[in-house]
Amino acid sequence: MNKHKFPMTALLALLLLVSITVSILFGSVPVDLADLCRSLITRQADPTVHTLITTVRIPRALGGLFAGIGLSCSGVLLQTVMNNALASPATIGVNSGSGFGAMIAMMLFPHSIFFLPLSAFAGALLTSFAVFALAYATDSSRTTIILAGITISSFLNAGINTIKILDTELSVNLTSFLIGSLSGLTLKKLSLPCLIILAAFLLSCCFGRHLNILGLGDDVAYSLGLNVPLTRLFLLTLSSLLAGSVVSYAGLLSFVGLIVPHICRQLLGNDARILLPSSALLGGSFVLCCDLLGRILFRPFELPVGIIMAFVGGPFFLYLLLKKKGGRRVNA
Amino acid sequence: MLEFQKVSVSCGRTPLLDSVSVSFQKGSITALVGPNGCGKTTLLQCLNGISTVTAGEIFLEGQNYLELSLRERAKKVSFLPQVRTVIPSIPARMLVEHGRFPYLGFSRKKTQEDIRIVENAMKFTHTLPYAEQPTDTLSGGIRQRVFFAMTLAQDCDYIVLDEPVTYLDPDGQREFLLMVRELKSQGKTIVLTLHDLSQALQTADQLAIMDNRRILIQASPEECLKSHILEEVFHVSCKTFTDKEGRYYFFY
Repeated sequence: MNKHKFPMTALLALLLLVSITVSILFGSVPVDLADLCRSLITRQADPTVHTLITTVRIPRALGGLFAGIGLSCSGVLLQTVMNNALASPATIGVNSGSGFGAMIAMMLFPHSIFFLPLSAFAGALLTSFAVFALAYATDSSRTTIILAGITISSFLNAGINTIKILDTELSVNLTSFLIGSLSGLTLKKLSLPCLIILAAFLLSCCFGRHLNILGLGDDVAYSLGLNVPLTRLFLLTLSSLLAGSVVSYAGLLSFVGLIVPHICRQLLGNDARILLPSSALLGGSFVLCCDLLGRILFRPFELPVGIIMAFVGGPFFLYLLLKKKGGRRVNA
Repeated sequence: MLEFQKVSVSCGRTPLLDSVSVSFQKGSITALVGPNGCGKTTLLQCLNGISTVTAGEIFLEGQNYLELSLRERAKKVSFLPQVRTVIPSIPARMLVEHGRFPYLGFSRKKTQEDIRIVENAMKFTHTLPYAEQPTDTLSGGIRQRVFFAMTLAQDCDYIVLDEPVTYLDPDGQREFLLMVRELKSQGKTIVLTLHDLSQALQTADQLAIMDNRRILIQASPEECLKSHILEEVFHVSCKTFTDKEGRYYFFY
């Protein structure tokens, strides 16, 4: 069992490394590997190439990487905390919540790069608590959680649309925000959210064992001495931090948080201690590859990464579901 | 000895447990019996922290049990819950290893000792052949034994089993109760709820009979039979048969 886990994880890491490199090299002005090395290591590159790499390509790759890490880990956390395989930042409304928060920040303080992530996080946190409280008050069956998520999500989307219509200035660059896009990122805009994502990711990895216990259901978790409410609150906060930070710069990316953890579960099993890092690796690759595809397909036009993810992710997820239903289980 | 002193539990204004006093002797098997909804599960859940005790106290060998953290409790009293909302898709061995969680916490690595305890728990419950199989693919009877092994891996002197045999076939029930008696002979203290009264009379050293959120009587099986209280509570009649292999009870 452990024998096939290490090569698989190594493969995912390699995939991520390749995705990052290709994402940096590819673009309207092609950069080759030698340029990249010269720019980053020996610092003797052509100044224009150097500027291109450091101000456009690297922020974009970083943005994609951390969006993938943040959303997939948030998905793993939510699925465990809510004990529900369908939970993800998008399906239970956390994305909409942080999107709504982000839009309020954009409307009120359009020039503050500090307030945006904060407000997005607050939105995410409030939404996840609301969904959880709603589901709990009505005796948290698994369907209730998703129903509560859908309800809150549509409520918040109404709010988002209201702002979109009322504030006409804002709606110009809003389309890409609502779909989810990685264009026009700067290191300055990225630094705070990425730092938060990194910290929250590392912290949640420390809680792998607790996640596993929580995944056994409340009765068993209590019996094993886990402080269930406190752990749940803490993990819910972490997942909101992750999702909120991503939304603050990349917009409402859906699907990553649902699909990546599921693929990793199929590949590597349900142990959260392996699931979290592997989801981070695959999530990063997935977002970067989709972004790359969006840049290549209709050159010189560019499709936002959110669209590609829905196009690629949807059918692939269906394929996985059908395979799992019909055939023998591959994993164990 | 594990001792409840006037323990009450209520959820909002609804009382769930009404000033219950009961004690479980060290090294004995106590069966908690009573009609559905009388508060058996609530009483037991005071021990793992799912039910919050609103009044009264619990003492474990003279120590105030409710002052202990949940983790400390899980090292002293292990608990096999009745309903399990999730059947995890992890190998049986990994599930049993989760029984070591109270000792492992954040960072402590599994030691030889942990591995040995897990191995013994699985050997005891005859689940070793299924160690690498995902728990959700196992049959109900084996699954119950795997969860039982997890409870045993907590390595506690006090073991609480909430309706452990309800969903097992007759053979599975018999084997499970044999394991319970074997644990007693190892010096463990066992508290369990049972619905089959003749099983309760045959297995337990003490019966605690509950009705309407209260303990009516706590006594040996013989005394319980003599007092006819079982018949009263469950609205049944009892016949006893004896042959050279033992005593049988028949409720109708």
